[in-house]
Amino acid sequence: MSQSMLSDMSEFHWMMDMLQTVDVGLVVLDRDFKVKLWNGFMESHSGLLPSQVRERCLFDLFPEIDKKWFINKSRPVFELRNRAFIIWEQRPYLLRFSNYRPLTGTEDFMYQNITLSPLTSPTGRVDHICMMIYDVTDVAAGKKLLESAQVTLSEWQERV
Amino acid sequence: MFSVLICDDSQVARKQVAKCLPQDWDVAVHFARHGEEAVTALDEGKGQLLLLDLNMPVMDGYQVLEHIQQAGLHTAVIVISGDIQPEAHERVKRLGALEFIEKPIKPEVLSGLLVKHQLFVKEAAQPVKQLDRLEPAIRDCYQEITNIAMGQAGDHLARIFNVFVKLPIPNVNLIEASELLMMLQDIEDKETVSGICQGFVGPGVCGEALFILSDSSFTDVAKILDIKEEVDDRVQLELLMDAANILIGTCLNGLANQLDMHFSQGHPVVLGQHRNITELINTNRTRWRRTLAIELSYGLEGYKVQCDLILLLTEESLKVLNNKLSHLLED
Repeated sequence: MSQSMLSDMSEFHWMMDMLQTVDVGLVVLDRDFKVKLWNGFMESHSGLLPSQVRERCLFDLFPEIDKKWFINKSRPVFELRNRAFIIWEQRPYLLRFSNYRPLTGTEDFMYQNITLSPLTSPTGRVDHICMMIYDVTDVAAGKKLLESAQVTLSEWQERV
Repeated sequence: MFSVLICDDSQVARKQVAKCLPQDWDVAVHFARHGEEAVTALDEGKGQLLLLDLNMPVMDGYQVLEHIQQAGLHTAVIVISGDIQPEAHERVKRLGALEFIEKPIKPEVLSGLLVKHQLFVKEAAQPVKQLDRLEPAIRDCYQEITNIAMGQAGDHLARIFNVFVKLPIPNVNLIEASELLMMLQDIEDKETVSGICQGFVGPGVCGEALFILSDSSFTDVAKILDIKEEVDDRVQLELLMDAANILIGTCLNGLANQLDMHFSQGHPVVLGQHRNITELINTNRTRWRRTLAIELSYGLEGYKVQCDLILLLTEESLKVLNNKLSHLLED
């Protein structure tokens, strides 16, 4: 094997390793919302192994997901090849994962921002989308705290 | 430090007056809710400048002016009142007020008077590197690529929502921070709005997309999307996000394709719901000086829906963009 092929191979392995360990949930879904890929983050937080979820429909695995809502959000991604963003202010989470810091965290669950991004097949069609789940618990907790502080402050100012 | 005392019984008015003070004026601002509080503060030595309302409970503005005269206090007073009768003007002037400003107060009026009475000295303009003027040919290029991109965005919107989209002519301008505010105020048209902003970045290019939807649009947007439930704040946020995702996403994709680059998009941030435009973008407006603003105003035929998409690009990005676009200009 030539030197350059070897280095290509190791780069590919590095990339796979990083996708597996990156602290962002990565899921690939097809048009029927069957799970095609499930990275380490998803495995750790859901407790479900890739082998347990592969080829199974997301809505069967997690019946708590509002199916109609989620399909609506993903429609422009399939049809328009457009990224779609869902932020925690809309819904605190898509999948109920527990707080990353179970002891010192103030919230019970993980607040999530979600990006749905199209994956183009070699033929140019979008048959799959990638779902990225970000943990934004600290941002959400911080913002909620700030808002309640502002309310207290303005109440206090009104009283003085 | 120079101290400014703002006396008004309305909290909204106090805030507004404070906001109208020159941005770069390093002063301590104090507040009083009626004349008596103002007099106490004056006696404590606060308020070298007093911005005074007239009609207030406990002790009104005229009484404050009388007190200042009798006690021989050296405070400069500018009266800010909704009372626009000539008699009111004359009375406060007789009582020693420097000026009378009618409500609603405008920042340029206030700063003009502050300069006139030498209370506030405008710092000599920093010698700044002059940015190349936007060449008409380059502006044409921006306009054209935006036209194409927004055509695609409009088409996408039309297909997803099954409506006819009235496409505007994109407005491309190099603007100062203060002009952005004015431009947004123009959109505001006296009604409240909700906004989303999203950062985007590509090689050497970065900026933000602002999506602004007037609150009166929500009923019709809900109709188009066939939403039966009550359109509460949560539903409105969903609608706002859906529309923003499609418009910002397709517009950026369209631009990126033509520029042969790829933009990463950050997570959208809710600027606010049901707010004044000025409230939406009040934060950190001092960090930047100039921006290329591409302004797009979308309407939907047969519906009362008005939304604005504004793409703002940093000064640094323009070098890269102009370079890319210069290829389009070559014959």
